[in-house]
Amino acid sequence: MTALFLCSLLLALAVTPWSSTAFASPDYHEQLFLQPLPQSSLLASFNFRSNTSQQSFDNQHFRYFPRALGQILQHAHTKELHLRFTTGRWDAESWGSRPWRGSKEGGTGVELWAWIDAPGDEEAFAKWITLTQSLSGLFCASLNFVDSTRTTRPVVSFEPAGNHQGADGLHLLHGTLPGEVVCTENLTPFLKLLPCKGKAGISTLFDGHKLFDAAWQSMSVDVQPICTAEGECTVQIEQTVDMVLDIERSKRPRANPIPRPLPNDQLACDTSKPYNSEDTCYPLERITDNAWSLSEVFGRNLDGVCPLTGSDGTSEQSVCLRVPHEKQVFITQEASEIKKDDGFTRCFSLSPSQAFDISVPEQTVTTPVPIEEPILNAERTIVGHGQERGGMRIIFGNPSNTTAVDFILFESLPWFLRPYIHTLQATITGQDGIRREIPTKDLVSSTYYRPAIDRERGTQLELALSVPAASTVTLTYDFEKAILRYTEYPPDANRGFNVAPAVIRILNTPDSAPFYIRSTSLLLPLPTPDFSMPYNVIILTSTVIALAFGTVFNILVRRVVSVDEATALVAQTVKGRLLGKLIALRDRIRPKQTKVE
Amino acid sequence: MTVKPGDPVSPLTPASDASKSHTTRTRVPPPETPEAVQTRFRVIAAFWAVIIFLGFPIWWQTTSIYRAHLPIQEMVDWADGKTCRPVYPLEIHVAAPLLQSPESQHLLRTTQHTLDDLNEFAAHHLRLKLTNDTSDSAARVVEDSTSTLRNTAGETPDVVLTVRVLPEEGLATPRSELLAHTTQLDVFYPPSQIPSPSTSNPPLSVFIAQELQRLYGEEKATIAHILSGESAGLDSTSPQLTESISRRLRRSMKYAETYHLSFSLFTPGSVPSSWDIEAAVQEYLSPLLDAFEPISNFTIDTQVQLYATFSPMTPAPIYDETEAAWTLKKEDLSAFINAAEWPLNPSIGNGPTLNFILYVPDPSQSPMVVKENRASSWIVPQWGGVFLLNPPLEKDQSNPAHLSQDSLQSAFMTFSHQLLTLLGTPSTPASLPLRLQTLIRVRAATLLLSASSTMGSLARLTESLPSIPIPANVASSVSTTLSHLSATCSHLRDGRFNAALASARVAENEAERSFFEKTMVGQVYFPDEHKVAVYLPLLGPIGVPLIVGLMKEVKRLLAEWKAKRAAA
Repeated sequence: MTALFLCSLLLALAVTPWSSTAFASPDYHEQLFLQPLPQSSLLASFNFRSNTSQQSFDNQHFRYFPRALGQILQHAHTKELHLRFTTGRWDAESWGSRPWRGSKEGGTGVELWAWIDAPGDEEAFAKWITLTQSLSGLFCASLNFVDSTRTTRPVVSFEPAGNHQGADGLHLLHGTLPGEVVCTENLTPFLKLLPCKGKAGISTLFDGHKLFDAAWQSMSVDVQPICTAEGECTVQIEQTVDMVLDIERSKRPRANPIPRPLPNDQLACDTSKPYNSEDTCYPLERITDNAWSLSEVFGRNLDGVCPLTGSDGTSEQSVCLRVPHEKQVFITQEASEIKKDDGFTRCFSLSPSQAFDISVPEQTVTTPVPIEEPILNAERTIVGHGQERGGMRIIFGNPSNTTAVDFILFESLPWFLRPYIHTLQATITGQDGIRREIPTKDLVSSTYYRPAIDRERGTQLELALSVPAASTVTLTYDFEKAILRYTEYPPDANRGFNVAPAVIRILNTPDSAPFYIRSTSLLLPLPTPDFSMPYNVIILTSTVIALAFGTVFNILVRRVVSVDEATALVAQTVKGRLLGKLIALRDRIRPKQTKVE
Repeated sequence: MTVKPGDPVSPLTPASDASKSHTTRTRVPPPETPEAVQTRFRVIAAFWAVIIFLGFPIWWQTTSIYRAHLPIQEMVDWADGKTCRPVYPLEIHVAAPLLQSPESQHLLRTTQHTLDDLNEFAAHHLRLKLTNDTSDSAARVVEDSTSTLRNTAGETPDVVLTVRVLPEEGLATPRSELLAHTTQLDVFYPPSQIPSPSTSNPPLSVFIAQELQRLYGEEKATIAHILSGESAGLDSTSPQLTESISRRLRRSMKYAETYHLSFSLFTPGSVPSSWDIEAAVQEYLSPLLDAFEPISNFTIDTQVQLYATFSPMTPAPIYDETEAAWTLKKEDLSAFINAAEWPLNPSIGNGPTLNFILYVPDPSQSPMVVKENRASSWIVPQWGGVFLLNPPLEKDQSNPAHLSQDSLQSAFMTFSHQLLTLLGTPSTPASLPLRLQTLIRVRAATLLLSASSTMGSLARLTESLPSIPIPANVASSVSTTLSHLSATCSHLRDGRFNAALASARVAENEAERSFFEKTMVGQVYFPDEHKVAVYLPLLGPIGVPLIVGLMKEVKRLLAEWKAKRAAA
């Protein structure tokens, strides 16, 4: 419910008031949405959006659109770009549905997909390589490792978000780097793309220490053309940062970040327990929410507003907080609060020059903010044991009691994981809790499968599935692990190999807006050799060959004589002659000595 | 084979004789049969035959690197300047519509004579030629200023300048006038000074010769400076001119076919956040760039960057009471650009990027100037230019939110000036077409030299590193470079400078391509220790018995041969 509301709110903001002015001039908007989540977490959702007209984009006159990114897109003939940097895991069980309906997040690591304008597949791939190389430099990420083995061309999993009129040569390419560690070096270039550069407005809250300390965070960059019915086009760049902060963890001062136990007298103990005493305590669950303020949680103040935002009323309220209206919230004096009539949301008008802070004191809540249940739960794990084979198990749970969920499962598997699609099996657990095996064709309505080619491309598997109401479906298939070549192993081969998360696109959403879920990434242990092996092999085989050769050669060349003949012959060898000479020398010296005596 | 049974084996040493005498019970085995010796010889020979005729060629084949043949000597000759001595014969047309044919012929001859006397740099000389089509010369010449620049394929030399000699009443001495947008020099003379064929050195000829000499003085000095390297070129050049030429050459960019011009508006606050950049570029810059079309292409991009602060290392501007302005010290200007934070990354695509920065200081630091000379702009050599724009403040002491086209005029005039300097355009003469022509000749000279020296470097590189491969496309690039270099040289000799520049461009491109060929750097590098570690475990145990066997056989054969000779 929450996220649905959040999305519909932002969607509404995006559609109604801004569309009237969006095409008049290049403009810029930013918004921060805060929502306390259960388990003392805080969701902070930042959104920055700027537009530029297609004409000035083509002529390379950049105002709010970042020049570096614009030139890369033009050079790579990229019409639409989606780039995601994600770390951590969204805990759907306690936090509910995802922000932006999952459309602004990627799988763990880096995920990139783009629509590229090219006459053919090969040209599109060449442009794609140009794009990944350039973005790799711009964002300090290893995107240049997105090669043909990590690139797929999804057929049904993604739809272009922008308007591409009259462009029929568009190619969708998709690449993931599940092992990429997202960190501050990616945040700095991300901030540089913003017109206010983290110096004014909500972007002043970004601090690498806090952002990457979050339980879950996702940064996204989306570029897409937006056209009116009259054919007037603008290029829109939208950047978002979503993070879930642990309030208690974030409030620790940076100088003293080590958590310390509370003193005994401050502990809330359950005194009804029989063992409760001076030194034994059963802690009670908190009944109040944590107290927090923006400056405590983010470690920084919010410095005024970015003056580039439009002057119409809605965009001035760039900070919104979703807590029950009854809750006490203190704000800086110069700012004003506007309560929305849904009972939960309040937005704040900031004063342009003053620093802004929100402070929520510790208090008991009677009406908690409802958390929307996710449409679908998905979990993917690797099962099996041994170095040779394994299996994949994907569990889908449909929590709804009334509607079935139709969705597309998109898997892009590395080539060294060779799935056996014929082993695809499905079991279903209905409301009665009985596990039944059913033919996969009852669940899978269509399949798009592109098998892997060793060292050239990975497996691409897209399944259109349907999970009936209130049931859990388990899909399993077996796979074989390939043995890599010596040079193909990374330095940390024993850690395992990352398998990109599966992307799930839910089809039957109420308003046909995109809704995505991504599973966690997996770690696949492959048979790993001892890396001094080649030298050992060389030495061992050499020794064997030399032994065999020496034996054969000696048999062919040596002369066979009897033992006593051999002693006579020894005298003729170099060794024998040397020995003889030594004896002769000794004999010559000894008589001399005797003479002197 | 000559050893008879019963005979003692010939190489018996005295020691063995002694041992034999000591131990009488041991007996020497019977000598080997000739068949056994023969078999052993064959076995060893067979092994060695396999090694030499099969193993060695296979090893050679599989480990050799492909090295295409390069004309090393020719490349070194180009680098040493032995193959081509660039010469610059400039053809100048003289039109004297109101002079009789013998008179004009005489004027031409005497002027040429004076010019040759004045010239001290033989590689660069002016050739005068009389033209007859005088009626439409003025109109034609204007057209020529663009069309001659485009004439690249023609067989005739480019006409660099047209001199019109016209009489004018009421003049005491001749005077000249250079039209700023054409390649035409008008010389007016008093009618009394019409040179008669008898005078050997008429004042009019001397005047024209001096004018021409003055016109091409800087170009001559520049080319002499480039061709002679770092040492001073001409004796007659003044030290100031030499200094300014070498300064210009130091500042100017390397030649490229395409330059990316990047105009950026930087300001430490949030305003101004927009500017009339499209109109300003169209109005103030496009004509200049169009004139440059035969030499280079340009792409333009612009950006607005707000909240652009100085780096913490930059010394802050100081308020100067007397000037009523914030001043930057000259020596601090190099730290003005905050390279770490300002997004000034080069544009994508081939060719260098020239950055032009329009900096609008914060109202609290406005106006901002350079302390020493109150200047508001400076050039960053081989990188771009900076202009400090101090717009009039609004009523509330803030910068205007929008910069109009008019307020950008001074900045863009400065930028076009900086662009000319960065591209290496000479400062004289006044006419832009003439300066561009000079630039063509200067660029052709630099490209010729740089491509030649790249060839020399490549030759030295391949000589000094025998282990790098030379793919076939490097060889073909080298041959293209060499053929275009000689084409450049002959075009220069014939006075076709546009064609020369076109060939020199190709030569430079191909030379760079061959030098920076990726496959020449081995992808897999095996150090010698690695090779020893791989080869030795196999070759050691196998090689020792083979070599010992070979040595024994050779020794036996030698002994046999000696014995045979002794017997004979």
